[in-house]
Amino acid sequence: MEKPKGKGVSRRDFLKGLGGGAVGAAVVSTGLLDATKVEAYPTETAGAGRGKSLVNLKVNGKLYRLSVEHRQTLAEVLRDELGMTGTRIGCDRGECGACTVIINGRNVYSCSQLAVWMNNREVLTIEGLAKGEKLDPVQEAFIEHDGPQCGFCTSGQVMSGKALLLHNSNPTEAQVRRALSGNLCRCGNYNREVAAVLAAASKAR
Amino acid sequence: MAKEFSIVGKETPRIDAYERVTGRAQYAGDYQLPNMLYARVLRSPHPHAKIISIDTSKAEKLPGVKAIIHNKNTQVPWASGGLTQKRLIFNNPVRFVGDAVAAVAATDRYIAEDALSLIDIKYEELPYVLDAAEALKPDAPKIYPKGNLSVGEGRVSAPFTQQWGDLEKGFKEADKVFEDTYITKHVNNAQIERRASVARWDGGKLTVWASTQGVSNARTDIAKDLGLPLSKVHVICKYMGGGFGNKNQAQDYDLMAAVLAKATGQPVKLEFTREDDFIGMHGRWASEQRYKVGVKSDGTITAVDLYAVTNMGAYRKQSGDLGGTDFYSIPNFKKVVNPTHTNTVVSANYRAPSYPQSVFGFASMLDQIAFELGVNPYDMFFRNRARLSHGTMPYSSNYQEECIVEGAKKIGWKDKWHKAGAAPGPNKHGIGMALGGYPFRSGLGAATIRVNPDGTAHLLVGVTDIGTGAKSTMAIVASEALGIPLNQIQLTNGDTDVTPFSIGESGSRTTSFTAPAVMAAAEDVRKQIFTIVAPQLKAQAGDLDLRDGIVFVKSDPSQKLPLSRAMRRVESGIIGRATTNPEWKKGMDGKSFAAHFCEVEVDTFTGHVRITRYVAAHDSGTIINRLTAESQVKGGVVQGIGMALTEELLIDKPTAIPINPSYRDAKIPTHLETPEVEVIFIESYDPYGPFGGKSVGEPPITPAVATVANAIFNATGKRFKELPITPDKILNALRV
Repeated sequence: MEKPKGKGVSRRDFLKGLGGGAVGAAVVSTGLLDATKVEAYPTETAGAGRGKSLVNLKVNGKLYRLSVEHRQTLAEVLRDELGMTGTRIGCDRGECGACTVIINGRNVYSCSQLAVWMNNREVLTIEGLAKGEKLDPVQEAFIEHDGPQCGFCTSGQVMSGKALLLHNSNPTEAQVRRALSGNLCRCGNYNREVAAVLAAASKAR
Repeated sequence: MAKEFSIVGKETPRIDAYERVTGRAQYAGDYQLPNMLYARVLRSPHPHAKIISIDTSKAEKLPGVKAIIHNKNTQVPWASGGLTQKRLIFNNPVRFVGDAVAAVAATDRYIAEDALSLIDIKYEELPYVLDAAEALKPDAPKIYPKGNLSVGEGRVSAPFTQQWGDLEKGFKEADKVFEDTYITKHVNNAQIERRASVARWDGGKLTVWASTQGVSNARTDIAKDLGLPLSKVHVICKYMGGGFGNKNQAQDYDLMAAVLAKATGQPVKLEFTREDDFIGMHGRWASEQRYKVGVKSDGTITAVDLYAVTNMGAYRKQSGDLGGTDFYSIPNFKKVVNPTHTNTVVSANYRAPSYPQSVFGFASMLDQIAFELGVNPYDMFFRNRARLSHGTMPYSSNYQEECIVEGAKKIGWKDKWHKAGAAPGPNKHGIGMALGGYPFRSGLGAATIRVNPDGTAHLLVGVTDIGTGAKSTMAIVASEALGIPLNQIQLTNGDTDVTPFSIGESGSRTTSFTAPAVMAAAEDVRKQIFTIVAPQLKAQAGDLDLRDGIVFVKSDPSQKLPLSRAMRRVESGIIGRATTNPEWKKGMDGKSFAAHFCEVEVDTFTGHVRITRYVAAHDSGTIINRLTAESQVKGGVVQGIGMALTEELLIDKPTAIPINPSYRDAKIPTHLETPEVEVIFIESYDPYGPFGGKSVGEPPITPAVATVANAIFNATGKRFKELPITPDKILNALRV
């Protein structure tokens, strides 16, 4: 039985096609694999993409040593293994931005990063933005300016806004729009999200 | 006119904004239960086919696969509100590419996905039809034995006919008669939260963490479809990530999760993929609208005759009607709408279901007639504004005229309007307008309020909050009605075991249905409080008032007691409750009105349309929370812009396969295309609405499509009669 044709290739289909070896090669080629820390588990060869590896993953300042399946994405590991469900998955194919996190200072779709690539990377999620009870200025501005409607894209919008402000503390409206353009909001609350990021920037100055 | 309020009408941040900006809000897919299985759905690759056999033996052997359900072993009805048509969760024959054929529960989602590809189904392909007009022809392949005109069952039958006045007389009175056809396409609701349902059985009781717009009717549906008593079904939805009409009630994924959980004895989380969401549920019905409009030479409408075909896809879930003529005074009227089945993705409710597509058709028609008559479109719309509904019925309140006047003033219509196509240069400026709105009604609501011994309150309502800010609205209404500050009110919502009935967050009904119950429950509580406090203040209960958490004697406000002290010996607290169903006056219509205006720049080299300014003027009665209400308007406009310019579910004709079921290819608007939407709320008051409020969720999308289309006409002098108005269509038109 084939799935309906002509619907594009999902990330997982793509990986299945590559097979486990190719995935390993892809990991090496990114230069992220630290052989001293990551021991490949004996692979169950039942299906391509199966098999597990250990990764050292730093999330919100805390180090996690995890055994992850090769085809698990960062978004899935955050949500399913670490219980950080504030990172939402809207499309699971790098289009909507609901899963946006900050990796080494840049906003990244966590659904499009394999967890095994994340060894020794520093990931900041929505859960790590507030300092204790004190919200980040971007979060505060999202409350004041009604940034969330249904709220499902909000984590991603906030993280993209935060990533922008890390590099540019005084963005123009056009720069905010561009920085957030990878974050879809079907509630159409774009005016509010842009206003919130601009307000957070001006507050921080 | 408007009354004095303490919190109603202000800009109040959402009461759950903290949870929404910190990621702590729990959506259906966020629930992780011990021992939980993951489920995925397999869909038909054929538009119309009989299932001959289903072989699951290979899939069953895959380690980790726990249950596989399909048409041959599971015959569960999917009534989805029981509106129209009997349908199963797995049907045979399958009737569109995307019809669910099986679901697998496994120990992880990868195994579930792998198992789908190991299920072997033999199909016998049947002839199919994709186009609605084709489907109505006598020799078209029949999707149902009765034929492809969806006659419907129960409350919704077809074709819709509506008629008043004397059509023939109306056309005789006309100086001119115009005829034209407008076409709109299927667009998906495309909410960012994919469908997810988590089901768990505890003995004979089913709990479903659902992504639904209404927990009460989700419970009713699930109970009916699975043959369970209502007491054995528990539906919870505290947060939901959008739906815009395609998560009303319970849907097939809730039922599949429940059946798989029953079969395996383990909790099951069933998730749709984004593709599933685009093709497996439903979007807005496409339409072909044929108008015949009679007018006087000054533009006054004398008669309208509308004949339309709407494409409902393979199954009928909702009406398929068209309502775009509702916002005008039409003395003589006839409408025939034929909801039609085709072998395509199902069409049903998407925000203001029957409106944006037909407002596009009718307001384009009027704009074109104005052009042909040499009348300014503003005068055309103003002259034909809604005075009476259906030619005879008064409105409960009507500030449409103010919307038109104020909106036009704000955008500067007088100075900016020019003759169509008359703007100079390669970037053509255009300005356009259209009228819209949505029905407003009151109905059944329920609420419970507890006041604690420390004077704080707890409000229980069944409402979900699909993004409208309904939770905040209910808390604000409670605060206003109780006289207790908002920050001392805790709200519990969306849990059928705990919260009272709510109609479900659809049809712009949450505020008008549930808020009266909150107000009545507050009144119940206040009476009890006053009885308790009266002796302490040495006054009659009837002489007391409560504001800002302080009980005082009306005639002498210095005689007062904070509620926290007044209540401290009432260890049990106080419970107030109400079920309300305000009577609606016979022969009266209710509507929220809107007039939208926008300016565009059309690049005649690329065909690209940029919206440079957008003004949305609304009559929604008293605005309960200005902050969230404005967000509603802004968002509705953005959805309308997408429908006007880019969105369309494309189906490959030779294979009947939808070819763009993804965000990238569905082209919903992004930050980059979205203009600043300037929102005007006309100060108005409806005597039938809670605190004078009407509705605000559905109306803003209704005029947006036509507003953009009419501005493009003003810029280019070319009339676009088919959505979406993409650059290729514009370039082709300009080349002629």
